[in-house]
Amino acid sequence: MIPVNLVLGLGFVLFLIGLVGVLIRKNMVIMLMSLELLLNGVNVIFAGLGRHLNSPRGSIFALFVIVVAVSEAAVGFALILSYFRQKNTYDTDDLNELKG
Amino acid sequence: MFAWIPLFPLVGVLLNGIFGIRYFSKRVVHAVGVGAVGLSFAASVASFVRLLGPGPTSMVKTLGTWIPASLVRVLGGRLEAFGIDMAFRYDPLAAVMTLVVTGVGLLIHIYSIGYMENDKSQARFFAYLNFFTSAMLILVLGANLAVMFIGWEGVGLCSYLLIGFWFSRDAAANAGKKAFITNRVGDFGFLLGAGLLVSALGTLDIGRISEAVGSGLVGKGTATAAALLLFLGATGKSAQIPLYTWLPDAMEGPTPVSALIHAATMVTAGVYMVARMHILFEFSGTALTVVAWVGVLTAVYAATMALVQNDIKRVLAYSTISQIGYMFVGLGVGAFSAGIFHLVTHAFFKSLLFLAAGSVIHALSGEQDMGKMGGLKAHLPGTRLVFVVGALAIAGVPGLSGFFSKDEILGAAFASGHYAVWALGLAGAALTAFYMFRLIFLTFDGRERLDPEARHHLHESPRVMLLPLQVLAVLAAIGGTIGLPRVLGGGNWLAGFLRTSTGVAESPLSPGAELALMLLSAGVGIAGIWGAYVVYVKKEGLPARKLAERFRAAYGLLTHKYYVDELYNKVVVGGTLALGRLAAWFDARVIDGIVNGAARLARDSSTVSIRVDEDVIDGAVNGVGRAHRVLSGGLRKLQTGYVYNYALAIVIGLVVLMALVATVF
Amino acid sequence: MTATLAIFLLFAGLAVVCAVQVVVQKNAMHSVLYLAFTVLAVAGVFFCLQAEYLGAIQIIVYGGGIVVLYVFVIVIVNLREVVPEKRKFVPKLVIVLTPVLLLAEVAAIVFGRAPVPASGEANGLELGAFSEALMTTYLVPFELASILLLAVLIGAVIVARRKDLHDPR
Repeated sequence: MIPVNLVLGLGFVLFLIGLVGVLIRKNMVIMLMSLELLLNGVNVIFAGLGRHLNSPRGSIFALFVIVVAVSEAAVGFALILSYFRQKNTYDTDDLNELKG
Repeated sequence: MFAWIPLFPLVGVLLNGIFGIRYFSKRVVHAVGVGAVGLSFAASVASFVRLLGPGPTSMVKTLGTWIPASLVRVLGGRLEAFGIDMAFRYDPLAAVMTLVVTGVGLLIHIYSIGYMENDKSQARFFAYLNFFTSAMLILVLGANLAVMFIGWEGVGLCSYLLIGFWFSRDAAANAGKKAFITNRVGDFGFLLGAGLLVSALGTLDIGRISEAVGSGLVGKGTATAAALLLFLGATGKSAQIPLYTWLPDAMEGPTPVSALIHAATMVTAGVYMVARMHILFEFSGTALTVVAWVGVLTAVYAATMALVQNDIKRVLAYSTISQIGYMFVGLGVGAFSAGIFHLVTHAFFKSLLFLAAGSVIHALSGEQDMGKMGGLKAHLPGTRLVFVVGALAIAGVPGLSGFFSKDEILGAAFASGHYAVWALGLAGAALTAFYMFRLIFLTFDGRERLDPEARHHLHESPRVMLLPLQVLAVLAAIGGTIGLPRVLGGGNWLAGFLRTSTGVAESPLSPGAELALMLLSAGVGIAGIWGAYVVYVKKEGLPARKLAERFRAAYGLLTHKYYVDELYNKVVVGGTLALGRLAAWFDARVIDGIVNGAARLARDSSTVSIRVDEDVIDGAVNGVGRAHRVLSGGLRKLQTGYVYNYALAIVIGLVVLMALVATVF
Repeated sequence: MTATLAIFLLFAGLAVVCAVQVVVQKNAMHSVLYLAFTVLAVAGVFFCLQAEYLGAIQIIVYGGGIVVLYVFVIVIVNLREVVPEKRKFVPKLVIVLTPVLLLAEVAAIVFGRAPVPASGEANGLELGAFSEALMTTYLVPFELASILLLAVLIGAVIVARRKDLHDPR
């Protein structure tokens, strides 16, 4: 039997790594990958709690998270391609049109 | 049965909105748009007939569950089952409103066929109009505040879309934005009021709220707060003080839109909502007094501004604000059926006036300035006839619809002891008659002052536009018979019909006193018309010019609409911008990593900025606004624009939020 | 220590190590390979948690779909240049410590409270129960998910094929 706190801990750690990756990397492709890690962490938590409560809801929510993750990846890539065509770089430092 | 009423226009939206723009010919677009509202009108009539027959006077149809019920603890510690159903309620009040919305809406849809004949995006126009009708019907039929709010927001959205229908014109786009943002302030009040009711009573169902308030489950203070918050929403939608400034600007939209949304239906949503929640307002008492005073002040205040406007539609816009003020007076003095009665007659005569004004504008190829009209009675006899009927009705000439409804409101104000309200209302009635006939005389009488270009294209409007006008003229003339007062042998059918929805207000006045009041308000109306005749026909506007010359300051105040737009611009818009810049500066400080210090700093600086804001409102508008701008110019540069800095800011926000959660749990 | 727990720990450790590698690798192609390992390890975690369907979906969608998509993108746009990882304004330590602080708070909240008793429906983890719930209670979100995917399909094509945003093609 796997203790639920262990699963939650794994989820937290994956989420943490993903979050740090999003914040610390400037390469947009790797930022997207970090987002996938982050969502995977959430899925682990869902699956763990679903198992803990002996309910199918955990898996169902995780499934929806996967759907959203896929959508996010697809749109993210489209945006990266479009951005690359305009600026010829992946560095988010050049993405500062919001500067006040 | 009645649940079908809002559905038909929605189908129209889907057909015209999805297929109409590409694939439908103009004819098909018109058929779908008008047909949808026609079917909806037929359903309203059928439901109404059924309601008249034997059977329950209030029906609720639940279409489904929105939020499943669960137990919540409300203020005072009771447990209530809170849930929200997608439910419609049909009772006499809803019946009257649906008939007005679909009936007047149908006529305006027909009129639009002629008015928009040369426009390129007719499918979009009719889709918006249908969407509006549907949202308005959802608002009217909603059985709880949540469903009502769907409609409430829907009509706001449609208002925005339709005011800015000709979005390539800057003025129209800005007017749409202004209407939307001003309404947002009111909607916020509505949401807060609804939230307060949930936390106090654990329900949003209007029937259950009324029951709970009636059985004393809520304190007077809470009831007053909730009622006033809801009323703030009403002032936004219904363009009352202090949130009325958007309505005159909304005249940038096409005229049928002004007639449908900004005269007959949407702007009366606030009146309807207060009447719906009348038990809450009555229980509070204070709130009802506030409603009456806001109403009468708006009525007189808007009427004074209507006196000096030169744009034909803006006169009507101020007139609308003023007339809605009268409706609120009716509600505020406890005569709820009188307020609704005025809502109905106003829908007839004001949409008539707007459409007739549209017919004039159409004939003059888009000219709206009354300074460039005059002498049109020879060219537009059909339009002039219906225009005069509408003006007589709004001026309160005995026998026409406006007389009975306005008189019932003023009579109720007098009878309930609000003498000051009554006197102000009477003065407003005189002003109303004066400015309406000023409008008529400037437009149809006197010398011709037309542009040669417009003169060349001058033509009477087509039959498809005149027909709705004639129907509305008949309604404006005889519409008063549904609420004929008892003294005149009528029996006030409307008040009896609405009895179960709004309660009865028995008049304590003797028949003699009632007749005397009636004669007085009729006299005041006729005096106003006579005054306008003397000033603008006999002396050709000379006294008006003399007065303007003599009291230049007062005249300037009126033509500049009391400078309220400027004040709002400086205080609210400027204040928001300043706060925004302050926030931007705060943001950058946080990014520098001094999280805690910056948080404290921000708290202090925002208290300072609140104080500064109050000072601004206290009058030092110009100086402080400029000072903000200068100071913030340098600080703005700290807004870096780097994506990860914003991401980091989000995470820091989460950290703070979680710390809060951790201390709570 | 049961066999399941041992396998779980194995996969969990693998997932964490590979996840760290995804973030720290300089070359994007290496990151993708580590991402693939992480995803498969997480699938293993799902199997240990009796979420077999989820594990299968994870392998098919993530391992087969998303990771391959990443590889394609990196190959197409030839992502060999290494972006300099220097930050303006904020030291790296702050960037790392802020999320750590966040997670510490969350963990304090979650682990600091009395655990929820393990209970619920019988046989709730079987595929039958899962499918039934998905097709009844969660039917509307399920259909909405398909609409979302359709919208993403169209949106991604439109965004990606334009040469620049002002070009109508």
